[in-house]
Amino acid sequence: MLSIEFILLPFVGCLLIVLINVYFGLHVIKREIIFIDIALASIAALGSAVGMILFESTHVEHSHEAHGFLPYIFSLGFISLASFSFTLLRHKRIPIPLEAIIGIAYAVATTLTVIILDKGAGGDVHVHDMLIGTILWISGHQLTRLAIVVIIVGVFHIIYRKKFLSLTESFHDRKNIIKKHKLWDFLFYFSFGLVVVEAVNIAGILTVFAFLILPASLSVILTGNWMTKLIVGWVAGITASFAGLLFSLKLDVPSAPVIITLLGIILLLGYLMYKLSAYKKQAKEISGS
Amino acid sequence: MSTLVFLAPPIVACIILAGMLSYFGNHILSRGIIFIDIAVAQIAALGTMIGILLGFAEDSVNAQIVSYAFTILVLGIFSLMKVRKQLLPQEAIIGIFYCIALGMALLLAEKIPGGSNYITKTITGNVLWVTWKSVLGCLVVFVPLLIINLLFEKTLKRVTHGEIAGNSMGRTRLYDLIFYITFGIVIVKSVPVMGIFLVFMLLIGPASISRIFVRSWKARIIWSWIIGSLGSLAGIYVSYSMNISNGPAIVSLIGIAAYIAAFAKLYMKRGDEKIITTN
Repeated sequence: MLSIEFILLPFVGCLLIVLINVYFGLHVIKREIIFIDIALASIAALGSAVGMILFESTHVEHSHEAHGFLPYIFSLGFISLASFSFTLLRHKRIPIPLEAIIGIAYAVATTLTVIILDKGAGGDVHVHDMLIGTILWISGHQLTRLAIVVIIVGVFHIIYRKKFLSLTESFHDRKNIIKKHKLWDFLFYFSFGLVVVEAVNIAGILTVFAFLILPASLSVILTGNWMTKLIVGWVAGITASFAGLLFSLKLDVPSAPVIITLLGIILLLGYLMYKLSAYKKQAKEISGS
Repeated sequence: MSTLVFLAPPIVACIILAGMLSYFGNHILSRGIIFIDIAVAQIAALGTMIGILLGFAEDSVNAQIVSYAFTILVLGIFSLMKVRKQLLPQEAIIGIFYCIALGMALLLAEKIPGGSNYITKTITGNVLWVTWKSVLGCLVVFVPLLIINLLFEKTLKRVTHGEIAGNSMGRTRLYDLIFYITFGIVIVKSVPVMGIFLVFMLLIGPASISRIFVRSWKARIIWSWIIGSLGSLAGIYVSYSMNISNGPAIVSLIGIAAYIAAFAKLYMKRGDEKIITTN
């Protein structure tokens, strides 16, 4: 079974992303800041573009694969600035949803990157690369980096899970707000940003976004409690990525769209199941009364 | 003088579009479905690709009809998915639609020669290429849509703010359908002209700034229009004098202005706030 060996590394990569992203996805859906992942990815890209321009101003077009140390530091700096602004601008004096602020940051970051990189031309290609990613060709080095970040952020969130849970639960009504909620809010966005940078580097914006939203949506539809939600999302995500990688290898099509389509089909089936059970319940109530 | 003649169509286009998008932008902002236009543009691009796969030429009327029909179909499904007790926030449903539409487009791109061009085709537009003909084309489409929206304005406003029209979910969905279809047509029409990020920013940026400072619905729309137009003019000027593309320049300017406005509001003294709310 050569093919199983071949997809082992990509599958482990998907597994790590699914594990952490389903967890973040549940938070993000509850907070209604769905597109934060795409925004943070663009902000990180702007940061590394700025870093490259400032310190490696020659051959900018060819160096975006290499990911030097300075561009990475710059993207972390930009992510922490953005996280800081998202933390501050969710305030009762600001009457617009945080998602609008995130959207504005996303548009500005993307267009500034286009301006910086080469004043417009070729921006399409860059965006195209960032969208799809190349998870089938993941290297051992990339996988190690992803694993380190996912483990650090994961352990951090497991230790302080109660803080993050109550933070998200009180995100809209702000009744039982925890102490130092601004600091925890910042840590939430920043730790998520760390994961997004590594994951997008490997799997592309679109796949990472799909892993964030689709499995978590399924578990929001199907179940109530946080732990079962996590498990439902994980099972859906892992199944779709394993089957997707296998299909994409056998049929010779890009893996990202196949995985997304499978996730979409699973979500649709879950929605139909939910609708069916709702109708059955209704019918029972009518026949009972 | 010749530059002014050259710049006249883009400026007029920006002002018209800023007006149209300021109306829809305030609705979108109050509904909390910020990314709907990016999703709609992606769905329309997928529709065009389906048209091409059916054998129509890219710019043909048939391909456009397929694209519009597909977009309206998806928006119809979206407005039907609104229920009294919302399990998933609508923004999440938009995210799912966007994700799957983009995934499908990537898959279809394999089947079309040079298909990858169609996926991201709409990302960068250029305002300077706008001609009087396309300005007129936009006007012909926008005026009837605006009239439809003004006819149902009161109910649409109430539905946007979360009320249920006539206490019937079916009627609410019908108003949603009117709103989404007119909005969808505006987006599909304007994105190829201006580029997706400019349309996105003209929707969200000015509406956010005016919502931060004023309360009444009418004032919000009027201020959005003014801010959007001024931002576009300033952006065109900056892009012209610094020799950068104008779409990104306008987007960055309005976006940074929105950030500054939000922080200004955050750190303004309480007294100032009282003056504004009493005015």
